[in-house]
Amino acid sequence: MPLLKVEGLGKLYDGETKVLRDVNFEVEAGEFLSIIGPSGAGKSTLLRCINRMVEISEGKVIFDDLDVGEMRKKELRKLRTNIGMIFQHYNLVPRLTVIENVLHGRFGYKSTLQGVFARFTEEEKERAFFLLDKLGIAEHAYKRCDQLSGGQQQRVGICRALIQEPKLILCDEPIASLDPNSSKVIMDYLKQISTEMGITCLVNLHQVDVAKEYADRIIGLKKGEIVFDGPSKLLYEDQIENIYGIETRELITV
Amino acid sequence: METSQAMNQALMKRKRNGQINIKSGNKIDSAVKWTIWVLTVLTVISFFFFDYTGLQLERAITETAHNLRVMFLEPGLSHFGWGEAFYQVGITLGLGVLATVFGAIIALFLSLMAAENLSKPWLSKTIRIIVAFIRAVPTVLWVLIFAIAAGLGSEAAVLGMLFHSVAYLVKAFSEAIEEVNPGIIEALRATGSSWWHIVVHGVLPSTFTYLLSWTFLRFEINFSVAVAMGAAAGAGGIGFELFMASGFYFDLREVGFITYAILIIAIVLEVISTRLKNRYFPSSVKA
Ligand SMILES: Nc1ncnc2c1ncn2[C@@H]1O[C@H](COP(=O)(O)OP(=O)(O)OP(=O)(O)O)[C@@H](O)[C@H]1O
Ligand SMILES: [Mg+2]
Repeated sequence: MPLLKVEGLGKLYDGETKVLRDVNFEVEAGEFLSIIGPSGAGKSTLLRCINRMVEISEGKVIFDDLDVGEMRKKELRKLRTNIGMIFQHYNLVPRLTVIENVLHGRFGYKSTLQGVFARFTEEEKERAFFLLDKLGIAEHAYKRCDQLSGGQQQRVGICRALIQEPKLILCDEPIASLDPNSSKVIMDYLKQISTEMGITCLVNLHQVDVAKEYADRIIGLKKGEIVFDGPSKLLYEDQIENIYGIETRELITV
Repeated sequence: METSQAMNQALMKRKRNGQINIKSGNKIDSAVKWTIWVLTVLTVISFFFFDYTGLQLERAITETAHNLRVMFLEPGLSHFGWGEAFYQVGITLGLGVLATVFGAIIALFLSLMAAENLSKPWLSKTIRIIVAFIRAVPTVLWVLIFAIAAGLGSEAAVLGMLFHSVAYLVKAFSEAIEEVNPGIIEALRATGSSWWHIVVHGVLPSTFTYLLSWTFLRFEINFSVAVAMGAAAGAGGIGFELFMASGFYFDLREVGFITYAILIIAIVLEVISTRLKNRYFPSSVKA
């Protein structure tokens, strides 16, 4: 049984233009999957339909045998605890400490009062330190997040997602704001998470070569439609040209 | 080259004397210009219609100068002592604090509902419209309106000031809240956080210093309003003493003393709030 099943997914923001149209794919538990495509292809929208940060217009998203589109408020919160999310701009609360930001990942499991008064258990705090240590930033635990570099902040973002104990992690261009070195560090950690912890990863990427290097499988999105879906090693030059359009490829290589 | 020259000629606006205009010459500019002109002319004309009977210019000027000298160079207390003066200043400050603190607390909750990024569009719009209406009516009028129910006095003054403070702070707070990076809210929402979790752990830490600065700014305003209310609505405090000293006892020295006292406090508040502003406000809000 696949962990995630997307069936005939369509999305309209304004009732006219279809940002996604008839998107179908399945993801098995433990897969490391990358979604590539030009700007505006609908990659971010696709990810946000999976944890319903945006409403689904057509079709179905089935996660862990549950229909995401049908969920009500409480079930939706439960779903989101099972799906971690990582962002291009990290989206941490800059004035809070690293450890506080990591523990934000536990709010999905808390009642309103527990969360408001930040009642975290000792195990949760220990787990937070364990994860920070795993990502090599335990020494910064009590620093304010705005004092960290971009790469370090992204690692805090990963810790925040991991402490949710998710089955799936959605990454929306996790390395688009980072230099090549930090990018490699982040991608290595993501890969490590998926192989060691068996967490499924869906990663939006702009860099085709990075996608080919890290992902088991690649989905190519173009104008809201899937134009490629297959193992990374089968993504050849002509398919890349098809996804991005020949003109843009030439622009980059020249 | 020549065609672009011709293009420019067509785009340029010229004044009547042929010089190139650098103002866009839109309707607002000319409306402002006309308003200023009309007002100037009206002011000058009105001087000719004043009732000047009984006015001896020379005497008026010397007596005013004398009064001002007594007021500001020989200030002193005669109807009450220093202790009483401090007590009355304390009452005025108290009125201001009361209205500001309660106002800030109420405004915080309302602004969460008025901020578009945390609330539903209809709710946010409704609150905004109500609040804009309350703000449009001056504080003094609200005090007088509450005086109908509570009677003239400190209760009506505090209620009126509170009302206006809430309206003012809701606008300021909700705008500060809307400045919060939408990514922060999105990230918390994606972890399964509830609305209160997002507010308490995402929005408030990011905006707390702004909210505090706005509150202090409002306190500064409320202090001067409290002085005026002391006189106008009989709310007590230093404003009432000022009213008594000037309108009842004609004691210029005391008026001078009280004026200095108010001035000093106003300066202190101003200095603190300027510091707060420079420290915590982004340049966009400073103006
Ligand atoms: N909230 C929104 N309201 C209306 N239209 C939107 C919204 N978000 C995205 N869109 C539109 O949907 C389309 C796809 O956007 P999306 O962000 O999913 O693309 P993307 O593939 O992630 O692009 P990028 O690589 O630039 O991030 C775009 O045309 C965009 O204008
Ligand atoms: Mg995107």
